[in-house]
Amino acid sequence: MSGMLATGTRLTTEDGEEMVVSGLLGSGGQGEVYQVKGAMGEKALKWYYPGCATAEQWDIVHNLVGRGFTDDRFLWPQAMVTGPRSGFGYLMDIRPERFRGLPDLFRRELDTSPLALVTAGLHMVEAYQALHSKGIAYRDISYGNLFFDPDNGDVLVCDNDNAVGEGEVTGIAGTMEFMAPELVRGDPGAMPGTQTDLHSLSVLLFMLLTNHHPLKGRAELDINCLDEAAERRLFGKRPVFVFDPENDANCPDPDEHRTVLLTWPTIPPVLQKLFVQNFTDGLRDASHRVRETQWRHALSEVRDTIVVCADCGKQNLTEPRETKPGVCWRCRHTLMLPPRLVVTTRMPKVERHLRLRHKAKVYAHHLQAEPDRHRYGPDGLVAELVEHPQKPGKYGLANRTGTTWSTRRSDGTAQQVAPGQTVPLRAGLEVDLGLARAVVREH
Amino acid sequence: MTVLREEKYWDVLYQSAQGPAKRRNQDSSAVRVTSDGDLVFAVADGHGAPVHPRSHVGSRHAVEVFTASGIEFAVRARAAAGSGPGGFRRLWTDAHDRMPRELVLKWRRQVLGTDGESLGEQPRLYESLRPFGTTLIGVVLTDGLFAAWQLGDGDLVVVDDDGSLTQPLTPARPELGDDTESMCSRRAWQLMRVHCALPGDPGRLPRMVALSTDGLSNSFAERDGFVRFVRDVDRRITAEGPAAVDEALQGWLAQAGRYSGDDTTAVVARNRRTLPPHGGREEED
Repeated sequence: MSGMLATGTRLTTEDGEEMVVSGLLGSGGQGEVYQVKGAMGEKALKWYYPGCATAEQWDIVHNLVGRGFTDDRFLWPQAMVTGPRSGFGYLMDIRPERFRGLPDLFRRELDTSPLALVTAGLHMVEAYQALHSKGIAYRDISYGNLFFDPDNGDVLVCDNDNAVGEGEVTGIAGTMEFMAPELVRGDPGAMPGTQTDLHSLSVLLFMLLTNHHPLKGRAELDINCLDEAAERRLFGKRPVFVFDPENDANCPDPDEHRTVLLTWPTIPPVLQKLFVQNFTDGLRDASHRVRETQWRHALSEVRDTIVVCADCGKQNLTEPRETKPGVCWRCRHTLMLPPRLVVTTRMPKVERHLRLRHKAKVYAHHLQAEPDRHRYGPDGLVAELVEHPQKPGKYGLANRTGTTWSTRRSDGTAQQVAPGQTVPLRAGLEVDLGLARAVVREH
Repeated sequence: MTVLREEKYWDVLYQSAQGPAKRRNQDSSAVRVTSDGDLVFAVADGHGAPVHPRSHVGSRHAVEVFTASGIEFAVRARAAAGSGPGGFRRLWTDAHDRMPRELVLKWRRQVLGTDGESLGEQPRLYESLRPFGTTLIGVVLTDGLFAAWQLGDGDLVVVDDDGSLTQPLTPARPELGDDTESMCSRRAWQLMRVHCALPGDPGRLPRMVALSTDGLSNSFAERDGFVRFVRDVDRRITAEGPAAVDEALQGWLAQAGRYSGDDTTAVVARNRRTLPPHGGREEED
């Protein structure tokens, strides 16, 4: 179907920069997205449907453009664009192809891994936290707005044109199945904001890790027609968590909800507890919702302690401080827990436990008590578990920083490890990493 | 017999040919038009394998359920067009979340004859559904909306006013062999692919929308052959009018069935707003 803007249409930004429409990229609930070319290079242009190109929408996007947000986890509105006739839109970067939508994940059309999914969850939490810390509420968190790289868990938050300053009132309340119950019910005084974003964020996290909606259990099957009234009941008036420990009215159906029955036990207790808190107490009282910092801490810990099954090679999420090995979710063999690297920051003291699995890596954020974000790229690499090139099965910790490490074995022997050098892995080995101290523990 | 329906805005051709070695035709199709001129149509391909002995019933229910739900969706689409920005957003969510779920659940109830009962209480639900396994592709076209849903194989082809051809519901990964997603799959609504465009202007609706079961596209050795066939249908409707193509469609489908060995069903909707006044239908008049 032809788009609202024909290929070749000339448009200008508010600042007078010219561009030409080169093709339709897609369409959504508010408008269409086009590829445009101009002096600024190739960009994406979101152009609103006539019914959505309201003065209120203009004000929201105009305000967002003015904020000049440059966080690389968001496709942020960069410039307002107007056309020869009425109507408007905004420019943003084009979404790189490596980022895929969550519906592809839910349809199992993506090859990904537990490591990538946990990383995506962590990045997602930090992205929204960054937004909230600037006093902006997203107000429309849903699976339609988040894209992730199935290889490494990088995330990209799109459709940011409904975000407004905390406390500002607009017409957008979100997507029903992600909306906080008080918004769904239309409670007096309830309005979309960071507090309600926390509910949506938890729903999205649950779906990312379990491939299922947290409130869709048996009660869902009793609904003949999922119209607005039914949705209000399911997500607002009588919301019940599918794994509510004290109320099994909406527990998963063994036939229909097999996926979540299989995925939930693979989630370690540290995360399960947060989900239960959010979808029991947090449904009834917004102040009991899980904060971004809680999610961030738990997801970071879980990511650091993923264990690869020695029998089948599948990644397993494990309870971070647990010393007893569990069984592999896939082959049911007992997991072999690799040694732990306990990293303790200097001031304030924060302890992190990393399982030294194959190719385990220590990053700069491990050395900080409260890092602003977790970066798993090569730039932040501090140390890496490597196998001895001539002695298979012998491992060491390679120094990937630009400074020399001081190390000490349990027998008191000291050793300096220059950049690029490797220190053999032994129980009790201590490594001075500058901002933190690391110790290798057998279990 | 080929059927040509001359609706207010659309000429609709639909026909089905039974596969040469088949005991019965397991495909189904249905076309409905509302009093507002909104068009709703669907095709479904019953799987036909021995584990799906009642798939002809499943496919019939699938198109019936689709046309009923599609008409309700068209009504909601018209209402949304007049209710501001929130209406568009709700409609988008409706298309992506509510419709797939509603189609699957209604279909389950129809094939199992359990209207009004809780499906959660149904013992061995999937074993009960398996005999009825079928695909489904359906389209809703209103003045300001073009929406389509697909579960399983088959083809939706769209020809725009400039002659460009697109297949908006092609899966990210091609399905392998005869394995296909089905209305009887677990949480089948999550497997449904959705296309929803809200042009708000009838002038931007497609020139032609064609649905077909995989018996048609599988009759071509190469995908290009199928694409050329669709282009040819579009070209001939433009040149000769829908009545002439209407006469020929039956033979084309039967011939396709001889190559693919499968039942072959197609529904072609041609936008009358874009048909030239010298087209064949006008000549008939």
